[in-house]
Amino acid sequence: MRKIFPAEELARDSRFIRQSNEQRMGDPRGARIAGGNAGDALAKLTPGLPNGPDRARALMHGIFVGEIQALEGAGRTCWDFELGDEAPLALKLDMARQCWDEARHCEISVVLAEHMGTELGEYAENALLYEAACNPDPVLRLTGVNRALEGLAIDVFNTMKEFGNMAGDPVLEFCEDWMLADEVTHVKMGSDWLRRLTENDKDRLDKALEFQKVVDRLFSFNGFRGEEDDSPIQLTRRFRELAGFTDEEIDEIADMSRDARSEAIT
Amino acid sequence: MTDTKRPREPFAPWDRRSLPGLFDVDETAERIGYYKWVEIKLFEALGGWVATVPELDVKLRLGTHCYHHAWHAELFDKRLPELREMQTERLTVPPNDHMVEFFESMTEPEAAHLTIEKLVGVYRVLIPHKIAAYTYHRNGTSEITDMPTIRILDFILQDEFNDWREGEMLIQSMIESPEELERAMSHQTKLEKIMLAAGGIAGPGSIGDPYVEIVEKN
Repeated sequence: MRKIFPAEELARDSRFIRQSNEQRMGDPRGARIAGGNAGDALAKLTPGLPNGPDRARALMHGIFVGEIQALEGAGRTCWDFELGDEAPLALKLDMARQCWDEARHCEISVVLAEHMGTELGEYAENALLYEAACNPDPVLRLTGVNRALEGLAIDVFNTMKEFGNMAGDPVLEFCEDWMLADEVTHVKMGSDWLRRLTENDKDRLDKALEFQKVVDRLFSFNGFRGEEDDSPIQLTRRFRELAGFTDEEIDEIADMSRDARSEAIT
Repeated sequence: MTDTKRPREPFAPWDRRSLPGLFDVDETAERIGYYKWVEIKLFEALGGWVATVPELDVKLRLGTHCYHHAWHAELFDKRLPELREMQTERLTVPPNDHMVEFFESMTEPEAAHLTIEKLVGVYRVLIPHKIAAYTYHRNGTSEITDMPTIRILDFILQDEFNDWREGEMLIQSMIESPEELERAMSHQTKLEKIMLAAGGIAGPGSIGDPYVEIVEKN
């Protein structure tokens, strides 16, 4: 088995449909997730919106395929790097733990997707998340995946948990809260390893944080994740703090989202 | 009223644990080092394979089992310093070159259509050999001096049995034709031959020697 497995070869059954991110965002149903692609007004994801339940279903499908790729990415981090200087045993053990968590998240989200009225393959999949997990430097990989993408997952799960609460759906609220707890743990792993492995390497730290920004920017399309009242996905300060983010780092993500939103409007 | 001065034996009548064991401290540390090496190689492989298998249920099981074996590696890693090995990496080695060859062959299948081979290597060859070696160690070591190892092995064996059962059922569910059966058997034979040369996951003596040595009289 090779080291570094390319995203285009990720093994899937016939139900999965792979699209580029551009294609996926061009899907008119994508607007339900982002809350407004081409001029549509942004709106926080709530059951009260006319298309709220549809958006939630689409988002749950997105969570499911995201969890598969997160599982695959964590698994590859166990395999791709030589034990020792490249990746300490403790880091690999954390990634193995994350594999188990992500496998359970797949199980949870596929059941929730069905519970919410969608099914596997109704929406397309892009491989952006896994692509971030292909970085050949384990520090950059963990920063991009665990801090940027799992950080986004914190915001998404908290939003879905609130959606479940507002919709009077205790199953959704219960499951999202459990997954949220795991995500905080994963982001904290990323924060801890970033600091440990770059303790005496400022250059590598800078590169890792830059890579995180690139990934954060990729997932900030139209500023759909932010702190504004009408942001479809709400940036969650409290849980990010628990996961090792500083106030400045959270401010930076909020600013990035605002910029993305302004760009989308102009 | 209880007579607090009435003497009792240190071992209750039903407690038949015995003091002697098959392994001294150094032998135990050496075996634990081999076990840890095997667990690391296994969890790395399972993690790597997740992206390569299209079957959703298999993908999720491999991700789950990946953590089980990582946890086993961690338990063995923590046991080594208790056995006077402070540089745990020093003993985290394969028992011989055949075991290295075994893992190279076991992890060779990558293509999406080779799930049967991937599963057979782990669940029909490696895990049964792990269960055998761990059981031999668990039953042979001192039940008093080396109880910490027994406790670890008991937890691990529980996982191994459960994972073996899940893996075996996945294999059975995937073999639907005589050709697929042939593929499974052929891959199993290939890997078993290497394991035979290795002498088991801890090298020769992994499960002891059952034969009686007879000294010929002239």
